[in-house]
Amino acid sequence: MSELIGRELTLRVNGIDHPVEVAHGRNLLSVLRTEIGLTGTKEGCDDCECGACMVLLDGEPVNSCSYLAAQAVGREITTVEGVMRGDELHPLQRNLLDEGGVQCGFCTPGMIMSATALLARTPDPTDEDIRIGLSGNLCRCTGYARIVAAVRRTAQEHGVS
Amino acid sequence: MTVTEPAPTSRFVRADGPDKVTGSGRYAADLTLTGVLQAAFRYADVTHGRITRLDVEPARSMPGVLAVLTAADVPDVRYGPFVADRTLFARDVVRFEGEIVAAVAATSAEIARRAAAAIVVEYEPLPIVNDVEAALAPDAPLVHADWASYGAADPIVRDRNDASYASITKGDADAAMADADIVLSSRYVADASHAAPIEPRAVLAQWEGDKVTIWSSTQVPFDARAGVCETLGLPANRVRIIVPHLGGGFGGKCGFHVEAHVAALARAARRPVRLVFTRREEFVVPDRRREGMVVELTTGLRGDGTIVARTGRVIIDNGAYTADSGFFSQLAAMHVAGPYRIPHLHVEAHLVYTNHQPSGSVRAPTAPQACWALESHTDELAAAAGLDPVEFRRRNVVDTGSEGPSGQTYDEIGLRRCVDAATAAAGYGRDLPDDEAIGVAVGWWPSFTAASGAFVKIDGDGSAQIVTGAQECGTGAVMTLRQLAADELGMSPDDFQLVYQDTSVAPYDMGATGSQTLFNNGRAVVHAAGQVAEQLKRLAADHLEAAPDDIVLADGQASVAGTPSRTVSIAELAGIAAGGELLIGHGSGAPPSAPALVGSSCVGDVGMAAFVAPQFSCHAVHVKVDRDTGVVRVLGVSAAHDSGTIINQIGARGQVEGGVMMGIGQALTEGTRYDDAGRQRNPAMLEYKLQTCADAPPIHIDFVEIPTPDAGPRGAKGLAEAPNVPTAAAIANAVAQVVGRPVRQLPMTAERVWNTLTGEDGVS
Repeated sequence: MSELIGRELTLRVNGIDHPVEVAHGRNLLSVLRTEIGLTGTKEGCDDCECGACMVLLDGEPVNSCSYLAAQAVGREITTVEGVMRGDELHPLQRNLLDEGGVQCGFCTPGMIMSATALLARTPDPTDEDIRIGLSGNLCRCTGYARIVAAVRRTAQEHGVS
Repeated sequence: MTVTEPAPTSRFVRADGPDKVTGSGRYAADLTLTGVLQAAFRYADVTHGRITRLDVEPARSMPGVLAVLTAADVPDVRYGPFVADRTLFARDVVRFEGEIVAAVAATSAEIARRAAAAIVVEYEPLPIVNDVEAALAPDAPLVHADWASYGAADPIVRDRNDASYASITKGDADAAMADADIVLSSRYVADASHAAPIEPRAVLAQWEGDKVTIWSSTQVPFDARAGVCETLGLPANRVRIIVPHLGGGFGGKCGFHVEAHVAALARAARRPVRLVFTRREEFVVPDRRREGMVVELTTGLRGDGTIVARTGRVIIDNGAYTADSGFFSQLAAMHVAGPYRIPHLHVEAHLVYTNHQPSGSVRAPTAPQACWALESHTDELAAAAGLDPVEFRRRNVVDTGSEGPSGQTYDEIGLRRCVDAATAAAGYGRDLPDDEAIGVAVGWWPSFTAASGAFVKIDGDGSAQIVTGAQECGTGAVMTLRQLAADELGMSPDDFQLVYQDTSVAPYDMGATGSQTLFNNGRAVVHAAGQVAEQLKRLAADHLEAAPDDIVLADGQASVAGTPSRTVSIAELAGIAAGGELLIGHGSGAPPSAPALVGSSCVGDVGMAAFVAPQFSCHAVHVKVDRDTGVVRVLGVSAAHDSGTIINQIGARGQVEGGVMMGIGQALTEGTRYDDAGRQRNPAMLEYKLQTCADAPPIHIDFVEIPTPDAGPRGAKGLAEAPNVPTAAAIANAVAQVVGRPVRQLPMTAERVWNTLTGEDGVS
């Protein structure tokens, strides 16, 4: 059975090389969660519709459910587990909590990755930039307002410092 | 007091927050165990049919398959909280597309899926009941031919496809209608919709000896345990349900679902078994769809716009089985009556079987649709009376001391102040372009009383734990328990860790359902913490040579009142207690009692006509309608809520914002469409269309905090469901102002709005 034929890959995740043996056709999400053991990245739809599986590839956000693990070889993969600064929360993580942008938390890792990419691309975003930048990440709990506020505050704090 | 912005000091960082922003928090699908097998279900291939052949051998003989189960392999138990019409696996007849015929456990998910597909099932087709109104006809085919033999809860009134009939009667509606100056009738039809939490459900089960531990993404772990016990014939103390972090629920993860199937597979395979739903399964399988509804209302007015009589008929799509929906008929009847003074009322509601996915409690069940119909009808009534819609409501809504439609007289309530606050915040009455309007709707929702328990303990180092049966689904209600305990004990919320979501550790709680967590478990925690406070005061009194009644607990210290120098830290007292009588409190407390009803009679009375600590709300929504396309854009929402005392401002605001956003989705895009066989045509996120961040309007919130007797801790009422009630209705009334008449179907999609604009909706 073809799916059982393994292939050795090295995936660089959050700055650490992970040699893995995976079947052809395995998506990046399942390899991150199962072989590498980083379960912070979530699966909400397996169809690029919800954004819960968002990770960064060389800084660009992708839905890892619909991205082959093999395509990520040689690229820098960043997941929510790679966002903290040492033992401190990243300002975006702290602001999400302070502003009330986290309820059930299931969309939060994907939101953090999309917002990180947005702020890298657009350090001083307008509210409309933020709303468009996060529109690939569904949240059912918050109504989005507190998440937008957290991203705005993160950008403002960065501008001040 | 009306609070518009939370004070910085009341901002509240949730205890589970760091887990959730770092990715270290585990959800059910993140868990695994050594030797775990993966499960897959074989679902019905037809929406209504009698099984004539079921051959599992092709699956059983497949390498890697360790267990295959059907109805023949589990106890023959028919279950259901109101009507016992459901079995774990289809027995003889399948009645909807998500019905489970067989379950497989295998060494990989791929093998499990292939094995499930290899099972041979043949059916004799049965007539499909796809139209909820036709299902009530005397000669309609029956969804349950044996309905009369099913057990049912006492108050439930049933007849053939009508699984639960309810009526509320007050005065003489027909006679009063005949005398009315203005009589107006309306009809509205709402599609079914979905809770759609972003986390699909996952279950992991492991047996050790004769005991099973089940990790499940459920909102109601004790209810799930009860379901496992009932269907597999186990005592409660041999079934342990643990809920890791829960990725949202909105009612969709209430009830008892697939925990027993996975546990039965694990027992048969003698290995742990894990099941993770796909998004499609999350849409199609659970008995927790928001019910489709047909509402017909007739209201009689005096010439001055005073309501004198109302008659109504509600037909609710129950789907194929009666999950927790038995109370929907009475609750929907209450919601089409609404928070109005109506002296003469007769409304009736039918909960009707179809071959659709079963309905169940999704955030404020029945209310958004019924409120949408009622409040659209109310704007039509205002127009007929020549009154501004807000003025019409001010004349007719219930207020403190007035009698509601079911004969309940209200203690102090804030509905009128909600109307004032929401309309003022929205700038109601200002000039707007022709394609914009502000619509207004009022809503209500009960608080639910239930038994609930918690333990509070302080360990020898002075750090504390709350051990509670309550379930956190994201709302922050469990998080807020720390605040209540801290205030009772003069400690800081940060001094408390929460131990929760484990049925073998904590006392019972109903779960994250009915907006009841803070209302009931808050009472339990206050009780439990109060016991520890008494212990601390006795210890401090001994230590400080004072009377216990003179001891004050504050800032982590126990002090003698009026003599702040005589003080001892709670941590030191905890150290003393560690060598003797331990600091342990347990609490439950008596739930508030149901208010009396006077002058009304209810058939099918399941207790939903008397609202304990009723919550009231008014939403004013500013919309813009594109006349060329029918696309509606929500420009702003002003939401005013009387949910009693607000204990956690940031959590409460999050509930209103999320509820409003869900209401916008239900108003404009979220609706399930069925094919000719009763299959869902859009069970996927893009086809179903949740609102996105780009769609989100500014939401202004006012909390009208009214001191409420017979409520939860500190006068708190429920909150999580109420914000979902009037949003769609307010949007509808704004759209109707622009379009010139109401859109009579929900969701009010661009196509339906456009058809209404052009007169192609077939409604004159």
